[in-house]
Amino acid sequence: MHGRPRKAYKPEEEAASAAKAAKLRALQSQFMSNHHNKIYTKEAVDLSTKLLEINPEAYTAWNYRKLAVEDKLSRIESDPDLIKTILDEELRVVESALSQNFKSYGAWHHRKWVLSKGHSSVGNELQLLNKFQKLDTRNFHAWNYRRFVVELTKRSEQDELKYTDDMIGSDFSNYSAWHNRSVLLSSLLARKADGFLPNKKIPDEYKLVQNAIFTDEDDQSGWFYHLWLLDQTVNVETPLLTSSWPSHGSRISLYAGCSNGSFSKLTTFGSESGYFPLVLNFDQAVGGVSSSTVTIDTELKGNEDLVWEPVSKKNSHVSCVWVARLKYISSEPCFGKEYKVKVKIGNSPGIVSSRGCNFSASYEFVFTAHVHDTVEESSQEGIVSWTDGFDIWDAESKDLNALTTLDRSNAQMDSKWRQEAIAEEIDLFRELPDSKIGKLTLARLLMAKAMISDDAVKGVHYNEILELYKDLMALDSSHYQYYKDVHSVALLRKVTSSTEDLSGHLFRCRNMNNSVCLRLNNLSLSRIASVEKLLFVQMLDLSHNELHSTEGLGGMQLLSCLNLSHNRIRSFSALDSLRHLKQLRVLDVSHNHIGEHSVDTTRYLCSSPLFNSEWTQDEVGRQMPTLVTKYWDAYFVLRDLNLKQLDITGNVIAGDVFSSFVLRVVPKLVWLDGKKLEI
Amino acid sequence: VIRTRAQLESSVEDGVMEELPSMTVSQRDQFLVLNDVFRIYSDFDASDIATQIFTCCSRVEIQRDKQLDYLMNGLRHLGPSFSSLDANRPWICYWILHSIALLGESVDDELENNTIDFLGRCQGPDGGYGGGPGQLAHLATSYAAVNTLVTLGGDKALSSINRCFLRRMKDPDGGFRVHDMGEMDVRACYLAISIASILNILDDELTRGLGDYILSCQTYEGGIGGEPGSEAHAGNTYCGLATMALITEVDRLNLDSLMNWIVHQQGVERGFQGRTNKLVDGCYTFWQPLVQLNLVALFEDCRRVQPVFDSLNLQRYVILCSMVPEGGFRDKPGKPRDFYHTCYCLSGLSVAQHAWSKDKDTPPLNSDILGSYANHLEHVHLLHNVVMDRYNKAIEFFHREA
Repeated sequence: MHGRPRKAYKPEEEAASAAKAAKLRALQSQFMSNHHNKIYTKEAVDLSTKLLEINPEAYTAWNYRKLAVEDKLSRIESDPDLIKTILDEELRVVESALSQNFKSYGAWHHRKWVLSKGHSSVGNELQLLNKFQKLDTRNFHAWNYRRFVVELTKRSEQDELKYTDDMIGSDFSNYSAWHNRSVLLSSLLARKADGFLPNKKIPDEYKLVQNAIFTDEDDQSGWFYHLWLLDQTVNVETPLLTSSWPSHGSRISLYAGCSNGSFSKLTTFGSESGYFPLVLNFDQAVGGVSSSTVTIDTELKGNEDLVWEPVSKKNSHVSCVWVARLKYISSEPCFGKEYKVKVKIGNSPGIVSSRGCNFSASYEFVFTAHVHDTVEESSQEGIVSWTDGFDIWDAESKDLNALTTLDRSNAQMDSKWRQEAIAEEIDLFRELPDSKIGKLTLARLLMAKAMISDDAVKGVHYNEILELYKDLMALDSSHYQYYKDVHSVALLRKVTSSTEDLSGHLFRCRNMNNSVCLRLNNLSLSRIASVEKLLFVQMLDLSHNELHSTEGLGGMQLLSCLNLSHNRIRSFSALDSLRHLKQLRVLDVSHNHIGEHSVDTTRYLCSSPLFNSEWTQDEVGRQMPTLVTKYWDAYFVLRDLNLKQLDITGNVIAGDVFSSFVLRVVPKLVWLDGKKLEI
Repeated sequence: VIRTRAQLESSVEDGVMEELPSMTVSQRDQFLVLNDVFRIYSDFDASDIATQIFTCCSRVEIQRDKQLDYLMNGLRHLGPSFSSLDANRPWICYWILHSIALLGESVDDELENNTIDFLGRCQGPDGGYGGGPGQLAHLATSYAAVNTLVTLGGDKALSSINRCFLRRMKDPDGGFRVHDMGEMDVRACYLAISIASILNILDDELTRGLGDYILSCQTYEGGIGGEPGSEAHAGNTYCGLATMALITEVDRLNLDSLMNWIVHQQGVERGFQGRTNKLVDGCYTFWQPLVQLNLVALFEDCRRVQPVFDSLNLQRYVILCSMVPEGGFRDKPGKPRDFYHTCYCLSGLSVAQHAWSKDKDTPPLNSDILGSYANHLEHVHLLHNVVMDRYNKAIEFFHREA
């Protein structure tokens, strides 16, 4: 119905068209009567032909014809010629309807239905398509139908690739052709068809798209195809394990009792529950992590049937981060002992990305857990202060090295051609200094280069990337927020790119037994990234940034103290990911914008029974329904946390009513807004 | 090669139109549209302040009376040129009545009753609405009919809906078909889930496998295509995202690449295009920013709270280029007006006006609205595109019914 020209009529034309409309109405009512009385005579079917030739949108008539065809086919014995005649007539009607309106969903679908019967010749389909695709090169119905015919006729993808060559050759602005090229090449590369190896083909494709881009840099088609190529160069489809905690070869010390972020060593962990988290971080969201796809070999008792949980929203079974909790304190005395833990991933298939790709190869890592019998002295009842007393961390770099070693290096098999292709593109795009899209592409290329090159040169790239995004923020203010976000990502990649960079942000907190704190404050970050390199962090200072939410922090399973003060958080919903942090005891969200405006995000969801009446069933919800309804977003987050200290001052929501609500929802709270609570 | 507005304008003056044949077809089309659009903008910018103040009362004014005349006339009598829409009559009801509701108006009892009766005759014996009386039930016309009845509101309208039907359209592959033996695509999924959600009949059986299907339609560009293998398209991106939002599986989509796609769909004219490297079209005023606002409004916990589109300039495109002074809206300059574009241009204007509103109860600021405050339109529900308070009343009704 959309996109068809509709002319304004002159009086004499108006009369003619009124007559035409009257005729159509008569046709329509006659057709309806045939349809409802199931009359499939030749006369009746011809009438539907007439109707469809005038109005291809009459989908009821297409269905009527399907029923009529089924009816006819059921009456004749399998005479191939007769079947063909019947079906060819359908193809003819579709063709004439399409020349009336080639955007008719019903007509295209009818043609697919006829061909799926398998009795008509498909040889003419491509010719017909060529005709239509010349008239409208971007018609997505035609392109969809083309893919359907190619699959049905088993036409080779190489031949189709040549067709896109021709289409692009005659009009490089035709993004549909570029798109189909990406679909075909993805398939050819995936099944390694002869000669279709990424290291051979992708560089050729870069040359092809350069032509389009440099002929007219304002033409979007080439840019989007370039984005796909970059994707192919950098990303591997199969999911990979990027990091874990504990990491391979590390030696961790486990204590009984609470860890209030109060451990002087990075490799020390304690929990009153007697469990420690085993965290797996993948490069993309995967499902199917379970005790059958991940096996643990250890003498630590009570870990036979581990439960793996995705760090994601409710109802979701996929995530980049998966966690299992291992028991290290059992009834048997095991203190003062060292245990080796061997983790094998992907021995049996089942770990699959959300795009349907299997986890590449099985992978194994080992770490040592030293279980101590003493409770490390901790200041768990004292208040945690973020204001002063931070000393530069006297880098025991070896300690840190073990933590940030990535397990990925062995997975990148043939990075040479990738590096070369990207280096060539970078040289080329440095020549396009004034275009916004040129700057953006250059920044992305540099980011890609940093990802696959040696540590030593990374810093340089990141500085250039950050400059480019700063330029873009100034040049293209309507997309400021978008550039700001990618700038934050680049900045965090830079910070975590090497031990030296990272240790510049590590501090010792004097007031807290010299425990180690990662301080990423005052960096004007608007989003969080690179969490996979920060899995070890227990105390994190993100204050004085521009964060709108904590998305991503859910992966930092060891976090026990978190400072988010002076950011731009507008509601408790934005803290949703913190629900996954079982160790979190200290949370500072003071001086944000919580409660400034009550954006009721459930207003879109309450119509769905999936979300109905969740809180009416639990204790607190029953006892104080009014407060829970008023502060539902805070309720959903706080009831899942085990906080001892919360700072909320400097938000509109803060006040006596909210405080009394917090006390009910978080009964173990000891400090609220800097004051000790009387228990 | 013409890159900037200044170059473009000077090339028009120099009469370089002869150069056009050497450009590709879509470049030539793009050039011609830009030419029209920028001429309108520069006429407007060039007029002196006094004229601008004067024209504020005409050029930048939505002209409610004329809009209402156009819409009311359409409801009472449709010209013969609409015969090709015979299979889409509930849509015409929706486009017109929703536009009227956006303007903050209602229709009289007689028209309301006629509409309810007419839609009743389009409803099939087993539920679902066809394009007209006697026609096969179709998800698209069912969506239009349900949204029309929600817009009309009241027990009579709402209780006339038979809530069966959707289950029959569910395909074992997870998606939905638009009608018996009909095609399956992302559009069909959205239509079904939007209806189910408003009518309060969304359940596990309807949502099973649906997220997987939608996911298989997201392309590397970041947007969502109509079916697996298709290129990304604004309408389908809206449908796919809204579906995922309604079934609470939105975090399964690649939201980063989706955002990247969206920010590149607002053309230099400040209108929105529907697909990569296509012409701008007024109706995408609704689809594209909507996708963004859904990302923003629904998922506070996603990190972006500020809309990333240029909302005032978008209003400028719609009002100066899509609005027809006699009432109604069109795709772009040079095209005729129609109800479809009127509906989605007005919906888009409303979205742009409310983009910066702090919450649903706070009206937009004067500075968020292009033109005088008389241009202020009612707030729409971003996932169903019905006026918010009519949506709320319908939800109340169907929860009572449950």
